[in-house]
Amino acid sequence: MSEERTVTATTGDASANEAPVPQEGRERRIGVYVCHCGGNISDYVDVARVVEAVKDEPGVVVARDTIFACADASQQDMEEDIHTYGLDGLVVASCSPKLHTTTFRGVARRAGINPYQYTQVNIREQDSWAHTDDPAGATHLAISLVKGGIARTRLTEPLEPLVVETTQKALVVGGGIAGLRAAIGLADVGLEVFLVEKEQQLGGWVSRLGTMYPHDRKGSELIDGLVAEVRRRDSITVFTNAELMAKSGSFGNYVAAIRINTDLPELVHVEVGSIVIATGFDTYEPAAGEFGYGIEGVVTLPEFKELVDASHGPLTYHGRPVRTIAYIYCVGNRQPGGNEYCSKYCCAATVHASVEVAKLDGKVHQYHLYRDIRTYGKYELMYTESRKRGSVYMKFPEDTPPAVAQDASGRLVVTTHDTLTGGEEVTIPADLVVLVTGMVPRKNEELMGLLKLPVGTDGFFNEIHPKLRPVETVVDGVLIAGACQGPKNSTESVASGLAAVTQSAAILKVGSAELDPLVATVNADACTWCEKCLPACPYAAIEKTEVRGRTVATISPSTCKGCGGCVPVCPEDAIDLRGYTDAQIRAVIDSMLEEPVA
Amino acid sequence: MDYDVLVVGSGIGGMESALKLGDMGYKVLVVEKEASVGGRMILLSKVFPTLDCASCISTPKMAQTIHHPNLTVLTYSEVEGIARNGGGQFHAKVKRKARYVDEVACTGCQKCETACTVAVPDQFNADLVARRAAYIAFPQAVPKKAVIDRQGSSPCTFACPAGIEAHGYVSLIRSGEYEKAHRLVLDATPLVGTLGRACYAPCESECTRGSLEGTLPIRRLKRFISDRHVESGEDLGIEVAAANGHRIAVVGSGPAGLTAAWQLARKGYAVKIYEAASEPGGFLRLAIPSYRLPVEVVERDIQNVRDLGVEIATSTPVRDLEALKAEGYDAVLLATGTPRSSGLGVPGEDRLGVMGGTDFLRKVKLDQPVDMAGKQVVVVGGGNVAMDAARVARRLGAASVTVAYRRGRAEMPAHHVEADDAEKEGVAFTFQVAPAEVVGDASGAVSGLRCVRMALGEPDSSGRRRPEPIKGSEFVIPCQVIIAAIGMTPDTAAFAGTVGVGRNGALQADPKTLQTSVPWVFAAGDVVNGATDITRAVGEGRRAAHMIDRWLTGGMLDGFDLRLPVVDKQQVLARQKTYTIRPAAKDGVTLEAAPRDFREVEAGLTEAEAHEASGRCMDCAVCSGCHECVAACPVDGCIDLQARDQELEVEVGAVVVSTGYKLFNADLKPQYGFGQYRNVITGMQMDRLLAPTRPFNTILRPSDGKVPERIAYVMCTGSRDETVGNPLCSKFCCMYSVKQNQLIMGALPLAEVTVHYMDIRAAGKRYDEFYEQSKSMGATYVKGRVAKITEKENGDLVLRYEDIENGGTLVDAEYDLVVLAVGVQPNREAAMLFPEDKLAEDEYFYVAEPDEDLNPGVTSIPGVFVAGAAAGAKDIVDSILHAGAAAAQVAAHLERTQAKTKVPA
Repeated sequence: MSEERTVTATTGDASANEAPVPQEGRERRIGVYVCHCGGNISDYVDVARVVEAVKDEPGVVVARDTIFACADASQQDMEEDIHTYGLDGLVVASCSPKLHTTTFRGVARRAGINPYQYTQVNIREQDSWAHTDDPAGATHLAISLVKGGIARTRLTEPLEPLVVETTQKALVVGGGIAGLRAAIGLADVGLEVFLVEKEQQLGGWVSRLGTMYPHDRKGSELIDGLVAEVRRRDSITVFTNAELMAKSGSFGNYVAAIRINTDLPELVHVEVGSIVIATGFDTYEPAAGEFGYGIEGVVTLPEFKELVDASHGPLTYHGRPVRTIAYIYCVGNRQPGGNEYCSKYCCAATVHASVEVAKLDGKVHQYHLYRDIRTYGKYELMYTESRKRGSVYMKFPEDTPPAVAQDASGRLVVTTHDTLTGGEEVTIPADLVVLVTGMVPRKNEELMGLLKLPVGTDGFFNEIHPKLRPVETVVDGVLIAGACQGPKNSTESVASGLAAVTQSAAILKVGSAELDPLVATVNADACTWCEKCLPACPYAAIEKTEVRGRTVATISPSTCKGCGGCVPVCPEDAIDLRGYTDAQIRAVIDSMLEEPVA
Repeated sequence: MDYDVLVVGSGIGGMESALKLGDMGYKVLVVEKEASVGGRMILLSKVFPTLDCASCISTPKMAQTIHHPNLTVLTYSEVEGIARNGGGQFHAKVKRKARYVDEVACTGCQKCETACTVAVPDQFNADLVARRAAYIAFPQAVPKKAVIDRQGSSPCTFACPAGIEAHGYVSLIRSGEYEKAHRLVLDATPLVGTLGRACYAPCESECTRGSLEGTLPIRRLKRFISDRHVESGEDLGIEVAAANGHRIAVVGSGPAGLTAAWQLARKGYAVKIYEAASEPGGFLRLAIPSYRLPVEVVERDIQNVRDLGVEIATSTPVRDLEALKAEGYDAVLLATGTPRSSGLGVPGEDRLGVMGGTDFLRKVKLDQPVDMAGKQVVVVGGGNVAMDAARVARRLGAASVTVAYRRGRAEMPAHHVEADDAEKEGVAFTFQVAPAEVVGDASGAVSGLRCVRMALGEPDSSGRRRPEPIKGSEFVIPCQVIIAAIGMTPDTAAFAGTVGVGRNGALQADPKTLQTSVPWVFAAGDVVNGATDITRAVGEGRRAAHMIDRWLTGGMLDGFDLRLPVVDKQQVLARQKTYTIRPAAKDGVTLEAAPRDFREVEAGLTEAEAHEASGRCMDCAVCSGCHECVAACPVDGCIDLQARDQELEVEVGAVVVSTGYKLFNADLKPQYGFGQYRNVITGMQMDRLLAPTRPFNTILRPSDGKVPERIAYVMCTGSRDETVGNPLCSKFCCMYSVKQNQLIMGALPLAEVTVHYMDIRAAGKRYDEFYEQSKSMGATYVKGRVAKITEKENGDLVLRYEDIENGGTLVDAEYDLVVLAVGVQPNREAAMLFPEDKLAEDEYFYVAEPDEDLNPGVTSIPGVFVAGAAAGAKDIVDSILHAGAAAAQVAAHLERTQAKTKVPA
């Protein structure tokens, strides 16, 4: 233990070296650690004062400050204290519990304390960072918060994590490229797979595509290969013309009801440990008149792609040769008040298509009217190739989008301003106008409803964290892959499908999983089954049950996320949240109020 | 098999793959070359588009990586090579680089860091500030353990035959720790003042700074600390072990004997030195003239030895080693040097007026009368003794002094400075002449030296051209005194009956152990090697003490030279693009054409000069060897500078390459002035300025610390740019810049932020919305590539660009600070992991994924996978997805090959 970091070490009473006897009714033995966070906290909070103020709180045996509580060395110091002083409770006052709860639970576990007798007190996000202008106030607040944390810890009881045996099977919803690749991946890591596809054929959007970027392979061929791989694997059961109708059970052991829409619709139930949602996207359908949509010769990107894929020489449209093509980018995307998001794949797809067209017809004129060309990463090479092959790129101002009209002869005319040549107005007579349309979320209210998955403002399924947990959702064991999570190209969809495989395998492969026991519990004697709690639960964890002849609520511990939403709505006070019991919350409030305002 | 999977690199991609595979139950070995896991993400300010604090969301992942029961993490380690082992598995060699700090014992207290005297650019702060050679990677490092950055031996230290930590004392002087510097030299030898004056400084010949404005005056820095120590009157401050009961006799009190006695006494031996002369010190006291090495300096250094309890018996020649042994000595060291001058070997050499060089010098040093006044003196020989003798003769009033040497000036063995100085003091030289006869008058006194002229023929065994007499060329140099300084030999007749004696009377001893044929007799220094110089004698004395101690304590006679290999000076110089040439210190030597006294000719360095001189040190090996960390560490034995790299060999079932990317070197775009204009920084540097562990707690520009009000971004620096060979887009620079724009506007509400861009590539979930948000907060986005940047005198920068959106006029816009949005470059170390099987790279040298469409993460080698930006530019979420895909591929591979060793749950 470094002397510099130890401002105060108090042993509280003379029995400091006795063996730990953490039992109800006995005095608790709590260690308190107040973190500087390398200045993030201590620049505003007088950490030494906090330690001084809390060291004599009931139950506190040792109180120290530490530069970085999360540092390995500090963790070792805490473990040593736990052994030396026979601690049975731990309080760390540092950052948000979201960051380091598991870290310090680990310290407790390694040193032999029940991990749930640890309390994380947030004096950074909820104190020092918020009150940089008031060090005295921040210090006062820190003392209150730490005292509250100590009060909570005094009332902690040892809890054991819920161990759930998991079903080593997975359900994949959606048989597009992401779903197919996920199904194969799941099978290849040793899980049994059920693949549900709404259509009669597997393959989704990609199965309809010819040559795709970036490796010039045909979409249809990729899908054929994947479907063959799926068929080769006995552990994959494919349901086409099928839909997921219901999901019950809880984490690790869901039961999915699948309706197979044949002449005689049939309902199949499968037990699975995880569900991979890969329901894909729809393409944006321009409104009539939007950039001339509806006029003959004005087509969307998917329509154009189909035309190109079907051509073996210079393009013709409705029998007429296509000598000039104008592309208008960002149709249905990046529109304030409309779809504000960028669809990510369309720039590269269009640029790629223009290269294909140039290969078919070296004399074709292609004009790209764009806002930003987003051929990120290696796709930039296609953009260079496209320009080398004669495509002309014109950037239009955001406030003056291009206009599409027909001239007297019925020919299409696109008018735009080209920023790159001094904002000049340019008129392009065109044989074909391609509206570069993006992706929109698939309309599937039923699926959303039954999965209880949140969607973002863009309408795509929301992940739990867009940076670090992009395929996980708030529902444990339900994963999102491919473009249902947000616009992606084929390659990216495959990668996310495989990432979902990994997440599934990480929770299913060992056959069991641990869940936090900090869940709501019902006092069956007090419950009257008034059903008020039912709508308060966003996870459908509450069900009706019979206890000693009475109808009462019961809460599935593996479905409950411990959000506490049901607790305050219960008129009978019959629900308590483990780890945050009413008694604990009251004690926290009382302790915080004890500290007089300076 | 040792592990199911080897993950190379622990950035966000490596950690994600490793953790998920660990969760699946596989045993994973993670090898990270830096001292902490976490890669680049932990160093970022926040992440886009959520603006989560990067370190807050990284540290839990880092902690999980270290604590995961199925993961073994080796930090500060490098995978040196991976090869297929025949069974579908892999054999990997891992170098665990020496941390010099016991990873278990280190508490992360940072005392070594505070004590360290070397500062180098901090790679974890994008070189914006310095870190120490002893350092903890960054505040949230996992594991939080110190390492000492030792890249080898510094050339000066490596060159020192005496084994003195030259770089170490220079860096201590730089830190103002003069006493500590003095003690560091004392750790090798008691002769600090002596070496500070009379050493020929091989260190200075090797100094890397020599290829800039000139070497550091390393020798005079040593003299400086010696002089300071004397002035301070402080104790030596040297630790001496308790007496161990052994007695050792050292015969001879020259530099070898004194150093050996010093070292042995410090180890607790009772040491007695036997000296034949009336004064101790050997050549230091009896030969080197006082104008180079004052007697009191030598006496002070000898007093250091006496202060440790060493007894010096003068006028006590040893004639019987067995008798010495019988007196109760456990070992004897013979270090009697080469006291005898060689004779001229020509007729008449016994005439009055002919004397040996060392005999002459000894007489003068012992204040015995030598009459030189008004005489013509010829000194025969071209070595340092000849130079000393000539210059001493000048000082004693000789009318003329002529050095006669049989070869040319370039072949003279004397240090060239000595010859130059002698010449400046009026010594004449005549080259390619050899003595043939001493000519005398009737009284028997010398009247001249008959010489023969020599021609230089073919090179001899020493590489010098062999002199051959020219017939009929004889001539006489008139003179009254002839000093023969043509060689020195040992005087070892008394030992010949006990130990082996070779040619010229040299004692025979094992060159490594210094042990003679008689186990208890060791021999060191010139008595074994013939005449060398002080540093070599000191080194031999240290070696002898080490070996005698080993022998008496029953150890192997080895382990003396533990130097790390010398660093490559060219690599040291390449660390910086440009160097400021700083004036070298003056040499401090004042010479007179006709010197008449023995005052020191060289002045010491002033404190200011010493400070300036030590400040020029380039810290070639980074760690200077000053040992301050060892002294500061509160845990005994935790820091061990003798630790060495260790090799580890493991068998693994699969490999994940997650070696990440390199950032573009912005100085490859000279028109943007990075490295030249101080207020042009990179995006990574701006991220550090904005990070929670930021170096300055605010955004300030490097040149003058001003808080910038006008900040410009130059996008696509090194990306989408054929002129630097990178036509690819780096993908994340637009977004990190947009993120920084928002953070800057939050931190500096009055600052104007302007972004010069090609296309804003906000392609990703909520990225475009994030870009729009930045615009609505007030950042300005200007289309067009910046042509060039110039710097104004006040450090402001002028960006020239074509204002495309406003008619295409040329605009010169002024900014306080410019951020270059540098992009990614492939990390080519990835392919080098596989010396046998070729790991295919794509056309731009990223790890190739031959079937990227359907099998991301799969490389050209079955069982080898790639995760993250090693396969191409990726932002964090791309890396997470890609690493997840790679983990699925690894698991499928292991299932298929049945190579899995189940870990009990």
